[in-house]
Amino acid sequence: MKLRTIALRAMATNTFGIFLRDKLLIVFGALFVCVILLMMTPLLTLRARTTVSNMEGMQTYVLGVVSAIMYMVSGAGSLLAAWAAADAVASEMKSGTILAVMARPVKRWEFLLGKYLGVLMLMACYVIMMFGLSYLLAWMGGQRVLAASWMLLTYPMVRYAIYAAIAMAVATVVHPVLSWVFTLLLGVAAMLVGPGEEPITSAALRWLSTGWYYLLPSTQFLSEDRFLNIKQATLRQTGWAEHFLTLTYGVDYALVVLLLAMWSFHYRSLKRD
Amino acid sequence: MTVPALEFVDVTKTYRRWLGGQQVAALSRVSFSVAEGEVCAFLGPNGAGKTTSISILLGFLYADWGRIRVLGFEPGDVRAKRRIGFVPENFAFYKHLNAEKLLQFHARLAGVAEENAITLIRDLIAKVGLSGYDKLKIGRYSRGMVQRLGIAQSLLGDPELLILDEPTSGLDPSGRKEVRDVILSLKAAGKTIFLSSHLLSEVEQICDQAVIIDRGRVVRAGTMKTLLETGDQVEIVATTLPEELEAELGAWGATVKRSAQNVSIVASGARKREIVERLWLGGSDVLRLNPVKGSLEDLYMKLVGKGDAA
Repeated sequence: MKLRTIALRAMATNTFGIFLRDKLLIVFGALFVCVILLMMTPLLTLRARTTVSNMEGMQTYVLGVVSAIMYMVSGAGSLLAAWAAADAVASEMKSGTILAVMARPVKRWEFLLGKYLGVLMLMACYVIMMFGLSYLLAWMGGQRVLAASWMLLTYPMVRYAIYAAIAMAVATVVHPVLSWVFTLLLGVAAMLVGPGEEPITSAALRWLSTGWYYLLPSTQFLSEDRFLNIKQATLRQTGWAEHFLTLTYGVDYALVVLLLAMWSFHYRSLKRD
Repeated sequence: MTVPALEFVDVTKTYRRWLGGQQVAALSRVSFSVAEGEVCAFLGPNGAGKTTSISILLGFLYADWGRIRVLGFEPGDVRAKRRIGFVPENFAFYKHLNAEKLLQFHARLAGVAEENAITLIRDLIAKVGLSGYDKLKIGRYSRGMVQRLGIAQSLLGDPELLILDEPTSGLDPSGRKEVRDVILSLKAAGKTIFLSSHLLSEVEQICDQAVIIDRGRVVRAGTMKTLLETGDQVEIVATTLPEELEAELGAWGATVKRSAQNVSIVASGARKREIVERLWLGGSDVLRLNPVKGSLEDLYMKLVGKGDAA
């Protein structure tokens, strides 16, 4: 058991190390930071121009900018999770490094789990950065984040775990780019079938929509925005039972898809692509 | 009865393309076995099915048919993999690591205790001649250095069975000699080695037996001695050849080759004494008398042809 843990940890940290040196991810990160910095500039300007007379209007505007940034950061996290997971195994196949690793006393599911944990390590860093950014933006906008920290960390993490599991599962059978696109389309489809403000009149359509809603990764359901926002007025008190059920749903979804990925990977031919 | 280290019985593998595309028969009823402690060469031209066979042995690919056992276990069984060292063809590596870190990573996967790993890694790096380069990023290594590192990683965990797929590819002559010496030392230590290589002269020096495969079928398998046996023929090298003897040699089925310095006669061993005596009586000096041994290259070319055995 101890050996298995050591092997898993070695694979996860190695995967994380590979991500940190991945040129594509570095370029993505650099571009992303540039965009965030550009978007933050008006915040500073607006804050400086705030006076007693225009305070309310300015605050609304500032909070709008903050929301947009956080929405973008959160969405980029989904893209990152899906790409990292899709590429994690595919890059090993492409380079051929998988051969020497799989010749070791490592089971196929352990290899996949090690890669998945590596992706989660990357996403954990991203979530921590996102968490810090939300506090920074709130401070820049002259607001305070009143939510419990664990919510801001756990909810996005579970959401990314789902995206990563889906992308990894699909990447065991198709090219990583296709897997990435598929995962994103799935995410978009899940948003479209989510319950809207207007009820669906047709019973058949309603059933179909509900069916898809339960089947697709309903990550809206796992959005921390459901419970809180940087804007103090929308902060909603939520019971532990609701948190527990929501997070259990998310973790369960990710685990089921990960098991599916392990099953699919078990039958896959391992060779240099 | 001891369990063979490797056992392949009627193994068949066909590569199929998706959506009813072309099928390629990679292996057709391939059978062979390697006993514990033997060094077996696995030979064949490119595309013969060597890498497919090795991939099946390690559990990377699944055979469509046949029985495969590795150290008595199914391919891919971690109990067998714990006792295997593997060098893939063109060993691939994590470019961001140095030799020490890569070996540490593999040592963790192999279950080598952390306290033993440091000394073991240092020894292995020295064994493959990479001392002084252990802190250099592997991305900056030459191909030969990478190949040596691949051999070092295969020796982690003191494996009983080594599966080496082209271990000397990319190495210069001195590097090849070093690898050959490593393999010979492993052979002396009683390890079982399954060696796929195109370097037939090396294989001939190292291996106890060989399996020759072509187009997915075993075309010859056996001990090196039986494979290279050419009957009881001898080669006699003398300074000159008396004319009357030359006429008789033709009748005995012997062949004669002349060079500027000497004459070489290949004849049946039953006639050797008579030929040597006649040479002496005819005033010729006998320079050498050796049993004729076939070369693996000759056998390979005869069986496989096409000049792939570079």
